[in-house]
Amino acid sequence: MERIVNSLRVRLIGVVLVILAALVPPLYLGVSAIVREGYAERFVNSLRAYSRLIADELEALDESDFDRHAVGVLDSAVLSGQVVFAEIRDGSRTLHSSIATPSVNAPPRDDFHFGDQGDKTYFITHTVNRADHSVALRLGFDEVPTREQIAAAERRVLLAMAAFVATSIAVAVWLSWVIARPMVRLQEAAQRVASGDTHAQLDVGSSIREVQEFNYHLEHMRRELVGANEHLSREIREREVSEQKRLDLERRLLHRERIATIGTLAGGVAHEFNNIMTPILLYSQLALEEAPADSALARDLVRVIAAAHRARSLVTRILTFSRVMDSQQPSVFPLRVPVEEALALLREIVPTNIEIVLAAPEEPLSVLGDASLVHQVVINLCTNAYEAMRGSGGRLAVTLAAVENPDEPHLRAGLYHVLQVSDTGHGMDQTVLAHIFEPFFTTREVGEGTGLGLSVVHGIVSSLGGVITVRSAVGSGTTFSVYLPAAAAAATPATAASVEA
Amino acid sequence: MRRILAIVLILCLATGPARPASQSVVLVVRADSPVTEMDSVTVRKLFLGLPVLVNGKLLHPLRNRSDPLLDEIFFQQLVAMSQPSYDRQILIGVNRQGWLRPAEYNSEASVLAALAADPSAVSFMWQRDVGHNSGIRVVRVLWSE
Repeated sequence: MERIVNSLRVRLIGVVLVILAALVPPLYLGVSAIVREGYAERFVNSLRAYSRLIADELEALDESDFDRHAVGVLDSAVLSGQVVFAEIRDGSRTLHSSIATPSVNAPPRDDFHFGDQGDKTYFITHTVNRADHSVALRLGFDEVPTREQIAAAERRVLLAMAAFVATSIAVAVWLSWVIARPMVRLQEAAQRVASGDTHAQLDVGSSIREVQEFNYHLEHMRRELVGANEHLSREIREREVSEQKRLDLERRLLHRERIATIGTLAGGVAHEFNNIMTPILLYSQLALEEAPADSALARDLVRVIAAAHRARSLVTRILTFSRVMDSQQPSVFPLRVPVEEALALLREIVPTNIEIVLAAPEEPLSVLGDASLVHQVVINLCTNAYEAMRGSGGRLAVTLAAVENPDEPHLRAGLYHVLQVSDTGHGMDQTVLAHIFEPFFTTREVGEGTGLGLSVVHGIVSSLGGVITVRSAVGSGTTFSVYLPAAAAAATPATAASVEA
Repeated sequence: MRRILAIVLILCLATGPARPASQSVVLVVRADSPVTEMDSVTVRKLFLGLPVLVNGKLLHPLRNRSDPLLDEIFFQQLVAMSQPSYDRQILIGVNRQGWLRPAEYNSEASVLAALAADPSAVSFMWQRDVGHNSGIRVVRVLWSE
């Protein structure tokens, strides 16, 4: 109810109704009074002039046969239509019109205003001067026709007022509709904007200038707000992306620091262990030289020396990971050469149910570094691929390519040569992927792997200024991508590894 | 409403100054005025502002407004028209014809004084107010009740 009362249309109509209620009654009463006074004044004016004429006519009559002529004048007055009472008093003698309405009784006093004494007859007395005395002419004029005229006029005024009120209400309703319609449409548009449809136009269209200007300014404000909102949303999205990148970098930094710490520790241990291995090997070989050939002692010493060599090999790989291994002088070499050498070696040991495919362009794809390290990278990656497909068989694809500005977040812009090793093995889940480059992390049975293969690969790629990434999903195989700077751009080292699943 | 107004008017009239049961309004002049008689038409002319000459002298109408009832009798009997019509006629006569507006007096004493001062003056008053005033003369009876 309150909502209806407070609506613009109802209020506009209500104001008009209140104004009409305040103005129409007094207006009607005023107009009616003017009408009544006009008719009354005309009536009084007319009867006064007419009665005066009658009196003058009587005054002009001869004394001879006055009574007969006087009655004739009175009858003539009655026959005029308005006179309903006519008499002449001459002392105690009274002359009456012979045709006047007999039921009309004259009051003792004259009327001076229309409606006096409430008898519906206007009585007037004129003194008619005769030769030696005066007589009184008394006439009564019927007020009823004038009253009827007044009533009819008042009805017409009432009808006119009713028409005026009806027209005013109709105009008020129409005006309220014209004024309120754009407001209602504007309100609906504003509701759409408020409910999230910020592109809803606030252009409601109106012929009223004030509404047009109001509309224009609101639409202008909406556009500014929408622009500001979009700007803020874009900034929020950018900040979210930046925050995500920051978190990602932070995570990678922590991962790299952990690997570096482990590498340093492992390098230190390997160095000390290498020092210990030197006298073991030296004295074992001296003892073997002194031991009788084909003796049990000699055979044992041979086993000791072989184990010592395996230990030294392990130490060497640890040192490679920790970059403490003595590296050869870097040189520019075609990437295809160590890859083909490694694949040739692998083809000798890989079962025939695993297909090895090399896809490489004709151009040399030169990189700067130690070719033997790349050879070791290929061996390690392909060995892991072979292990993933052992038993089930599959396809081991090695691809070489040149990529300009690769879409990898850890690489600077430039030309890179990519070594990609893909298998169709069992793949890895997220948990495994998160740790594969950590030293001593392995998924193989105890005694089957050292957990140093991929950490060594990571160390080699980093030492070559490249990046290694991995994409894998359980059941869909794994792809390692090694990005090495092309020979011209190899001077600026990049960093680390990236894992994707 | 009209009935109430009529009753109020009657009450006002009834509570007004006491008057004799029979009263008359008469046309009066100064005792030595050349006016000896005057018919109703001439009276009307005179009080509508038309110039009326008697013996070559212009008569001066004096309108007596000392009593509301006298005013009503003036309109009804002397000029035989309503007040708005009289006012209209006077305005037309004064402005278009150059006639003179009748002088108006609001008390009986001032009317008597004006009559005494002007032998050409003509006025009207209650018969009872004429009394035995030898300075004024009744020309004719205008209205009797």
